[in-house]
Amino acid sequence: MSAPLPPGTSQAALDAALEAFRAAVGPQWVFTSEADRASYLDPFSIGDPDAHATAAAVAPANTDQLAQVLAAANAHKVPVWPVSMGKNLAYGTAAPALRGTVVLDLKRMNRIVEINEDLGYAVVEPGVSYFDFKAELDRRQSNLWMSGAAHSWGSVMGNALEHGVGYTPYGIHAETICGMEVMLADGTLVRTGFGAIEGSQEWQAFKWPFGPNWDGVFTQSNFAVVTKLGLWLMPQPEGMAGFTISVPAKGDLARLVDTLRPLRLDDTINATYTIANAWRQSTGGAQRSDLWQGEGAIPEEVVTRRLAERGRGWWNVIFNVFDHVPGGIDLRIDKINRHFAAHFPQASIEHTRWVKGEPQQAWMRQDVSLAPFGIVDWRGSPGGHSDFGPVVAAVGSRVTQVYELIERRFLEHGLDPWVGMFGMGGRALIFVADMLYKRDDPEMTAACQRLFRTLCREVSAMGVGLYRSHITFMDDAEAMHTWNAQDGQGALPALNERLKACLDPNNILAPGKQGIGSARA
Amino acid sequence: MKLTITLAVGALALSTLAAGAQEAPPSRTGEDIFAQRCVFCHDARGWGTRSLARRTPPDQAELLEREVLPEILVRHAVRRGIGSMPQFTPTEISDAELDALARWLATRNAD
Ligand code: HEC
Repeated sequence: MSAPLPPGTSQAALDAALEAFRAAVGPQWVFTSEADRASYLDPFSIGDPDAHATAAAVAPANTDQLAQVLAAANAHKVPVWPVSMGKNLAYGTAAPALRGTVVLDLKRMNRIVEINEDLGYAVVEPGVSYFDFKAELDRRQSNLWMSGAAHSWGSVMGNALEHGVGYTPYGIHAETICGMEVMLADGTLVRTGFGAIEGSQEWQAFKWPFGPNWDGVFTQSNFAVVTKLGLWLMPQPEGMAGFTISVPAKGDLARLVDTLRPLRLDDTINATYTIANAWRQSTGGAQRSDLWQGEGAIPEEVVTRRLAERGRGWWNVIFNVFDHVPGGIDLRIDKINRHFAAHFPQASIEHTRWVKGEPQQAWMRQDVSLAPFGIVDWRGSPGGHSDFGPVVAAVGSRVTQVYELIERRFLEHGLDPWVGMFGMGGRALIFVADMLYKRDDPEMTAACQRLFRTLCREVSAMGVGLYRSHITFMDDAEAMHTWNAQDGQGALPALNERLKACLDPNNILAPGKQGIGSARA
Repeated sequence: MKLTITLAVGALALSTLAAGAQEAPPSRTGEDIFAQRCVFCHDARGWGTRSLARRTPPDQAELLEREVLPEILVRHAVRRGIGSMPQFTPTEISDAELDALARWLATRNAD
C-alpha cells in the first residue's frame, strides 16, 4: 500500500515537512515505513481502513519539539492529527478523519506533572494512560481515586477531552477538567484560567477565571494541541454500594427512566447509571452462535427467552453510589429502596455494600482493565465496533421514542441492537447503541454506515444530537446542528469555522475533527 | 502470570516515568512488556485467551502455555493486529522492544 498524500498537499511539500519533522524530533521518531503507517490504521474501521490511512506519524517528546513540528506543518501546509495514547477505539483509534493527515503522536509526552493530595487534583500530559495513572496513585498510596474509562489503555487526558464517561461521582470527565496548557497552531503556548497568572497556585483550584473559561473550547475540537491538563480527583469515600435493578417488561423503559431521574437529579444516585436492553444483557458469557445461527439480527424472541431462562428482566440497570459520611451509604441505600418500592414495586433490586477498610471488589470498578473489549468479536473475527450516541433528555417518553427508533433501524439493517443508556448527570441519558460488526464483511460494514446516517437524519428531525462519533461520521454528526442556518450552515458550525480560520488559518490542526475544517481538500 | 506481578511491574515503570524523564522510555525486557501490554488480554481469563480458545487446541490458547510461538507471528500480531486484536504503534512498543518480546515468547515456550 503506497502512502497517501495529506489533503491539499503535494509530494514535495510532504517530503519537505518530513525532513523538518526529522530535524525537530530525531529521525527515529518520524514513522514512514509501510508497517509503521499500518500500525496507525483504525483496527475497528467501519469498512476499508485505508479510507483513513496516514501519510506518516511524528512523535515529539516535549513542547519545544512540538512547536518545531507545528512550524514545519505551517510552513509546508501539511496537516497533522494529534493523538494522546491513540486508543480512541470505536471512534477511529489513532487514525485521522481526512485520509493522509500526518498523525501527531503525543504518547512520549507522558509525565504526571503533579498529584496534589490536599487540593485533590492532578496535572497530566497526553501520554499518561489509565494504567500509568492508577499505578502512580497506588505507588503514592494516594487518598485520591481515579475515575477510569471503559478500558484502561486510553489516555486520561484524551478521554476527558473527548467527553468520556466514568462510574464515580467524577464520571463526567470533561467536567473535572480545571486548567489547561495548550499550544496554538502558530506555536504559542497558552495556559487557561488562573494558569495565566505568573506564579499561580490556583490553576487547578478554581475553574472560573477573570474572563472567559476556554477549557471547554479545547475539548472535542481542533483549535489547539492540549499539552497539559488539570483534572480534579475524588477523595476516597467512606462507603460505596453497587446496585443492580432489573425490570421485567420491554414496556417498562419510560417508567424506569422516570423513577431513576429524581434520584439521580438530587444526587442520591451520585454516579453514572447504565441501563442495558435485552440484547446487551444477553451477550454476557455467551457467544453469538450459542444464541443464534440464522441470518441477520438476533430476533427479539430469542433474547427474551434467554433472559427468562436466566431469570432476568428486559431492562437492567447498574450503578454505584458513594458517600463520604460514615453510615451515609446506608441512608442512600434505604432511600433508593423506598423510592422504588413506592414508584416501581415490580422492579427487583439487589445491592452490595463496601465500607472503607474492607478489601475492594470488582463491582467497584477501581481496578484497571481491558475486559470491555470482550464484546468486539461478538459477530466473529475480525471484529469491530462503533456506536451511535444520541444525547436524550431523561424523560421516559422521549427516551422510549428514541430507543424504539434505534431498535427498529438496527433490526432492519441486520444488526443486533446492543444498546446501553448512560445516566451521566441527572438530566440526560447518553445512548451507546453499539454496532458490532465483522470487519471483513463489506456488506455488514456498509450496512453500519447506512444505519448510522439514517439515524442521524431521523433523530435530528426529533431535535436530538450526538455526544461523539467515529471519524467516518464527523461531517454527518456536525450537519445535525442546523439551528439558525445561513446558506445551509447552522450558526454554531459557522462559529466554529470562524474561530478555526482565526486560530489556525492554514488548517493544519486535525482538519475534519468534529466536522470543523473538513472542507480542506 | 498472576495479577500481582503485573501491578508490581507497572508501578516500577511508572516511578521512572514520574521522575520526569523526557527521553525515550527506558528499554524494557520482553517479560516487562508482556506484563505491561499483553497480560490483561492474554492471561488465563483474558479476552485474547478466550478468543484464541475457539481456534487452538484447548491447552494452547494461553500464549504463555504455547508449545510453539514463532517470533514472526508475534511481530505480525503486535504491529499489524491479528483478527480482532488491535495493533500497537512503534511509540508504544519500539521495534527493538518488539524483537525482545518476540524472542522472549519464542524461547521461554521452547523450554
Ligand atoms: C485488547 C486485548 C489484547 C491485547 C492488549 C493483546 N492481545 Fe493479542 N490477541 C487478542 C485477541 C482477541 C486475539 C485473537 C484474535 C483473533 O483471532 O481474532 C489475540 C491474538 C494474539 C496472537 C495470535 C496467536 C495465534 O495463534 O494466532 C498473538 C501472537 C498475540 N495476540 C500476541 C500479543 C502480544 C505479544 C500482546 C502484547 C504486546 C498482545 N497480544 C496484546 C487480544 C489482545
